[in-house]
Amino acid sequence: MRYFLFIPVLLATLLPAESSADAQLEFFEKKIRPVLAEKCYSCHAADAKKLKGGLQLDHREHMLAGGDTGPALEPGDVEKSLLIESIRYGNDDLQMPPKEKLSAEIVADFETWIAGGAVWPEEPVPERDGENSGESFDLQKRFQEHWSWRPVANPDLPAVKKTDWPKVGPDYFVLAKMEAAGLRPAPEAEKGVWLRRVHFDLVGLPPTPEQREAFLADESPNAKEKVVDGLLASPHFGEKWARHWMDLVRYADTYGHEFDYPINGSHEYRDYLIRALNEDVPYDLFVKEHVAGDLLPEPRRHPTEKFNESILGTGFWYFHEATHAPTDVLGNEADIMDNQIDVFGKSFLGLTVSCARCHDHKFDAISTADYYAMTAYLHGSARQDFPMDVGRVREKTRNQLAEIKEKADALISPDKTNVEKAPQAKEGETIFETFSGEQIPEGWSTTGYAFAAAGSHQGVRFDEKNPWARPGTVDSGLFGKKQVGILRSPTFTIGTDHIHILAKGNAVDVRVVIDNYQMAKFSALLFKGTILKNLDTKGGFRWNTLAGNLKKYQGHKAYLEFVDNGDGEIVIDEIRFSTVAAPAISEEEKMLPSGPLPENVAAFVKKGEQLSGKLPAPRFAVAMAQGTPENAHVYVRGSHRSLGEEVPPRFLEALGGETGDRLDLANEVTRPDNPLTSRVLANRIWHHLFGAGIVPTVDDFGPMGRPATHPELLDWLATDLVSNGWSIKRSIRQLVLSSTYGQASEPHPELPFERLAEVDPSNELLSRMPVKRLTGEAVRDSILAVSGKLDSRLYGASVPVHRTAFMTGRGGKKSGPLDGAGRRSIYGAVYRNFLSPFMMTFDVPGPFGPKGRRNVSNVPAQALVLMNDPFVVEQTRSWAGALVAREESNEKRIDGLFLKALGRTPTVAERGRVESYLAQESESDPVDTWANLAHVVINMKEFIFIP
Amino acid sequence: MTNHCNRFQNGLHSRRDLLKGCAMGFGGVALQALMAQQSRAAVTNPLSPKPPHFAPRAKNVIFLYMDGGPSHVDTFDYKPLLEKYHGRDPREVIGELAPTQFDNVGKVLKSHWDFKQRGESGNWVSDLFPNIAKKEVIDEIAFVKSMTSKFSEHTFANYFLHTGSPFQGRPSMGAWTGYGLGSENENLPGFVVLNGGLIPPGGLDCFGSGFLPASYQGSVFLPSEQPIANIHPQEKTVEAQKRKLGLLRDLDLESLDTPMPDPQIEAAIQNYETAFRMQTAVPDLMDLRGESETVKKLYGLDADFKNTQTFGLQCLLARRLVQRGVRFIELTCPGGNGDRWDQHGKLVDGHTKNCKTVDQPIAALISDLRRLGMLDSTLIVWAGEFGRTPFAQGNDGRDHNPFGFTVWMAGGGVKGGACVGETDDWGYRAVRDRYEIHDLHATMLHLLGVEHTKSTFRFSGRDMRLTDVHGHIMKEIVA
Repeated sequence: MRYFLFIPVLLATLLPAESSADAQLEFFEKKIRPVLAEKCYSCHAADAKKLKGGLQLDHREHMLAGGDTGPALEPGDVEKSLLIESIRYGNDDLQMPPKEKLSAEIVADFETWIAGGAVWPEEPVPERDGENSGESFDLQKRFQEHWSWRPVANPDLPAVKKTDWPKVGPDYFVLAKMEAAGLRPAPEAEKGVWLRRVHFDLVGLPPTPEQREAFLADESPNAKEKVVDGLLASPHFGEKWARHWMDLVRYADTYGHEFDYPINGSHEYRDYLIRALNEDVPYDLFVKEHVAGDLLPEPRRHPTEKFNESILGTGFWYFHEATHAPTDVLGNEADIMDNQIDVFGKSFLGLTVSCARCHDHKFDAISTADYYAMTAYLHGSARQDFPMDVGRVREKTRNQLAEIKEKADALISPDKTNVEKAPQAKEGETIFETFSGEQIPEGWSTTGYAFAAAGSHQGVRFDEKNPWARPGTVDSGLFGKKQVGILRSPTFTIGTDHIHILAKGNAVDVRVVIDNYQMAKFSALLFKGTILKNLDTKGGFRWNTLAGNLKKYQGHKAYLEFVDNGDGEIVIDEIRFSTVAAPAISEEEKMLPSGPLPENVAAFVKKGEQLSGKLPAPRFAVAMAQGTPENAHVYVRGSHRSLGEEVPPRFLEALGGETGDRLDLANEVTRPDNPLTSRVLANRIWHHLFGAGIVPTVDDFGPMGRPATHPELLDWLATDLVSNGWSIKRSIRQLVLSSTYGQASEPHPELPFERLAEVDPSNELLSRMPVKRLTGEAVRDSILAVSGKLDSRLYGASVPVHRTAFMTGRGGKKSGPLDGAGRRSIYGAVYRNFLSPFMMTFDVPGPFGPKGRRNVSNVPAQALVLMNDPFVVEQTRSWAGALVAREESNEKRIDGLFLKALGRTPTVAERGRVESYLAQESESDPVDTWANLAHVVINMKEFIFIP
Repeated sequence: MTNHCNRFQNGLHSRRDLLKGCAMGFGGVALQALMAQQSRAAVTNPLSPKPPHFAPRAKNVIFLYMDGGPSHVDTFDYKPLLEKYHGRDPREVIGELAPTQFDNVGKVLKSHWDFKQRGESGNWVSDLFPNIAKKEVIDEIAFVKSMTSKFSEHTFANYFLHTGSPFQGRPSMGAWTGYGLGSENENLPGFVVLNGGLIPPGGLDCFGSGFLPASYQGSVFLPSEQPIANIHPQEKTVEAQKRKLGLLRDLDLESLDTPMPDPQIEAAIQNYETAFRMQTAVPDLMDLRGESETVKKLYGLDADFKNTQTFGLQCLLARRLVQRGVRFIELTCPGGNGDRWDQHGKLVDGHTKNCKTVDQPIAALISDLRRLGMLDSTLIVWAGEFGRTPFAQGNDGRDHNPFGFTVWMAGGGVKGGACVGETDDWGYRAVRDRYEIHDLHATMLHLLGVEHTKSTFRFSGRDMRLTDVHGHIMKEIVA
């Protein structure tokens, strides 16, 4: 405001009274153009090396056309000109020039210039020569040029010379390439080596000496098949392979950031993965469950516990990190969606879709509109804590209760029917919902079986103390207090600073979810008044108000959520958006209808209450729910403050661009003619078995990824996968029984090293099996397995991480046992801010983004862990205790150590060396000595490097 | 990709025999030397020294991380206007305010402390830092009074300060430094965090290696007898461990008895040699018996205030780590001073304690490095994740302010006594020579001889940089 006061003065002093055109031009040339040239043109002119914000300031026409945030200039209107807003430095998101605020005098000059109509001399409009960032974005051209968009071929098996070598299709492709390069396959691995390899690859555990003995003794031609089928049928298969998906979906048990709040029910998703892989759920269904498991018309159910399995897959969307109290909630939502789309794009499609958040993809056929079309699905979805219906008890009970209620209601005479008075909105109020219909209102949605409409006629509710339902309400206690459920409103734009809810209830949460922000339940900072936790209306109806910080969020999208977790109930009568205090309420309005129940009705109520009282405590999983369908806006250059074109929810243009709901999206992703989904999966399986993918960049099939080493093999595998019902187990089975997989890890003795070094130094052609280092999980699980302390139970809540003195920081959880309760590593909690040091040392990835290919580092810290970690030492002692307790010769004990840990007996030289060690230590306590020896064997490189 | 070529041409049988033949007890010098020479050709140690892009001005960095956000208007950024308008509504006198973290805007709040110009440079320092204010210290320091961040929430701002990105899972600047330059001591990690007690909001991921290999990750050392996990042998005697490791080495060498042993396995064998030496190198680092009483006193190890002792020990250890060639050392704050530097309330008490904690040790570190001739090659960086508001939060605190705050550097390549940038008359927003965190990173790397646009790592389909697509050298403070 204060600048305004100066304007007439300045005009009067600097410009002639009549303000001639000449004087104005002179003013421009003297005061404005030099500043523009000096301070702005390095980024905002035709010859700028890189044009920023899409804005040129080197001509009035360009200023009027504006950049990403709109026109820079409003001639004559100083306050409406963005140029002025930015040079005043009052808006923290728009401050120009970026490095330094212009002086007050210069700012005043610009105000003068604009106030005077922003005159500019007649001159040509400078234009940039094309886009100087290089070629412009041409989606079709890129689509046609890059291999991974092309349809999957169905290639014939290539001809090979050594025709007795291939056992399965893939062997032909591998051998053909080897032969073309003048290489030959390695000899077949020794049986013991193969057995150890396949055990680790399929179940992540070493074979026991008994399993080894049985296999070595089995001379039958299908001995390997028997082993593989046994391993694929083992429940431990899922424990090994689920972890690969957990790496992709950045699985975690906490949200990270300042206080590392818990992701409750996270482990249900992990257990879902284990079961799905063990059951060999077809991969297309598996993907559909992830993308839209909540929308499948016939969800897959747990074979014995009968709950909805499919919906658990959607949990993957929500393993993102999350902070409390973001000062910019919409920006926070945009960042979370970026992470969700990154995970979705890379995991299922091998595409870096989120690279198109700020600009069209620099290299791939993915536009910014594609990216924001994906966000539309997320804008139209809601996170929920989904109550699992174990045994379908809730569903059955609810059906029975509905029947009972129908009978009871039929006995109530129609004269009991109340005619509800239409509510009167006061000034400043809008009625959002009155719940007067017979059903949950249109646009509202529910989860679980708690929330139901009372309808317009007088009926009962299954609560002997309050047996009369109130017509014109939605009531989560209608079918009994122990019902569990969620009620969600349609999405609306917050337009008032109060939301008044006429309701009666206790022990339920009521909240307004703003821009999908979920963390207010942990900390209300910046969101005070947007959540009523454990609402308690003290027995009667009253107006409950969401307010407080709500006023800050006017203009933001939101929905209301009522959560009844089974401990309470809520009867909701009416909701108003308001700018004023809550209306008054009469005494009569405060209570549910009263009066004695007819005797025959009372019996039904009693029966209903008893039945619903038997409902078990619920189990919750993280899941997605359908919200109000929405279009999304492109955020220009990634800025949510700068809205571009509107886009509907639709799939990537390069893959058809089909619009629809999330279920349609899921169907598009898994269409057999989608060239990416099957290739990406086939490649992942290959990667896990052969140590490197056919496309080595397993999460990036785009132009910045690496090309396939065996493109025809990749297509053959993808075709094979789809035509065999997307069976993961079948694909794995075929590969581990192949001749390629069966090779030794040493090259053929007659193959000259020089030749190998020259043509294939990194073994891309697989003329031998690579030596693979065990994953962190397999290192720890193997130690437990050999020490005899492995607890092989499946599933359940995560075992807290054992915290050392070095694991400090905010949000610390209770420390878990040193040995992780002996459970397999997959059950160890993943606390983002307190990750297991053991796992991190062995490259288990942090849960931040999709990671289909782990690092394999080789560092002294790994030696320190295996040498000195108290967990390792404790395990060797307990192993030694058992060993010494058995009356055995030293020779047998040494054999036992080697067999368990390394899957072989010692060589003569090794035995000699071990015996001399034993002689050296003959004075020591035998348990110490054998623990030391066990410790040495665990530290042998062979324990973690698998040939 | 590992280059195997060298190995294929070696007589591998004889090599293994050679390894065996010269083994003279675990940690044997001959074996170690041989492994070092020959294995490195086959398997590159990620931490082995790498040449910089151009002649470096500094070889090591000590990052003094002022967790929580120190108040610049109470320490180095003198704003007389705050006195004049003390108690006024900031919306009236300053104008429109950006949303704050706690949304509890109080009145304009003058500094509780007096400011004076110090040293020959005449840079302003408040009475909170009597030791840093001394001529011989202050004139080594170059101030950037126009630093800005993009985030007013701790974890975003912490990740941003440490990694150049507001998200978890990105490499910390210490990791980038190790990636760019390697380390000069293979018995210690290249990036050490000396934990004074407070791990910053955002947790250990502030020191992570993100998508870079794990060997670049920060190792958190506690200033205690066992500074890192698993550094103490679990055997009853050193000899017992040596006998075990001797047996282990012999058994492992047996497994190399094949025509083409795997290079990973050889490297892993070598790691045991290194790990064994780390077991000595780390306790040696912590053993202060060789330091004079004068030096210990200088750092404040005998101070009355316990946190001064703690931070003094951290600073002394930082110097010892630099002497051992560790590339990047970060110090976190000791606890118990209120809530870190994060004084949303009780500003006077909290800032008094925080300054008392770091003032003497930091001054000592600068003097001591100069005395030892190491200051010219050691870059010291002092920074919080943001500054604080010139107006109160409630009555006696200040809220987060990322729009303009002060950081400083000293030592290798830094123009001592310089001062660049300005905030507005309130200390609220940077208005002249505005810099951002990316510029701090670019300048640090520049002083280390690393061109920030060229130190890249391919991840997620992009060539990632510490400075993302940003970063300018802060030329005004480079000597």
